[in-house]
Amino acid sequence: MASDTTDEVPDEDLLAAYARGETAATRALTLRLVPRVMGYASRLLGDRAEAEDVAQEAMLRLWRAAAKWRAGEAQVSTWLYRVVANLCTDRLRARQRRRTEALEAAPEVADRAAGGDAGLIEADRAAALEAALRELPDRQRQAVVLRHLEGLSNAEIAEVMEIGLEAVESLICRGKRTLVALLAGRRDDLGYEDDEG
Amino acid sequence: MEEQKTLDNLFAAARLRPVEPSEALMARVLADAFAEQTKAVAPPVLAAKGNWWLGGLASVFGGFGGLAGVGGAAVAGLVLGFVQPANVTYLADALLGPETSVTLIPSVDLLMGEE
Repeated sequence: MASDTTDEVPDEDLLAAYARGETAATRALTLRLVPRVMGYASRLLGDRAEAEDVAQEAMLRLWRAAAKWRAGEAQVSTWLYRVVANLCTDRLRARQRRRTEALEAAPEVADRAAGGDAGLIEADRAAALEAALRELPDRQRQAVVLRHLEGLSNAEIAEVMEIGLEAVESLICRGKRTLVALLAGRRDDLGYEDDEG
Repeated sequence: MEEQKTLDNLFAAARLRPVEPSEALMARVLADAFAEQTKAVAPPVLAAKGNWWLGGLASVFGGFGGLAGVGGAAVAGLVLGFVQPANVTYLADALLGPETSVTLIPSVDLLMGEE
């Protein structure tokens, strides 16, 4: 299975090829899945080093599950998102008592935004969103990240989180309401005063 | 409404700045993948690491089946020797007579006498 022909191959078929020992499938799956796993873990944890550990562990579990993977039982990406969420929940619980960062501790965005450097403004916006996301309860954060940053549909999120559609909608709605409240009054700080939208 | 718009803008900005995995992470994941792949595709090992001597012994007798056969015969011999069932004694008497002696090892004199 050549690497340039794997783009259209479903994850499940690549995983089966991996289990048969095909190295091209291994590379293709790694290139395809690790960025998604890393992005999700990073947004749930807000810590790059920890997110990398989680991404590696989640992928390791996938490799080990490959031989016994049952076709059609679960989508590979859904399964992976679930594993990542569980691993992140464990880590968040472990560090909950020593978590000290708060939304107010975000970098001094006002000064840098006033400076007008586009890269810094974008970085500050990302930091502000990350800090606000960290204030959400775990399940709300997972649902909001999957919907608005990973681009999953509500039905896919329901499958990942093993809950009903209404519960997903409720989690996202409550999460966004909390985020809006946390970010209230920071529009100017984040450099949106001159933006049209 | 303004706050909602701010949040939507932050989501859009974050989507444009995906968290890229480092090359080191990709290398670690690939190394794990190949290691697991090799394990899964490799032929099964006959004996566990801790029982290497048992595996060696089994290979002398042509595998674990042969070793089990030899072990079973040894146990049966011990049982017959200690218990001495009546039927076995009658059978030996019928075949060899009640007063038969068998020399399993010739005497040293006999061997020396051939010189």
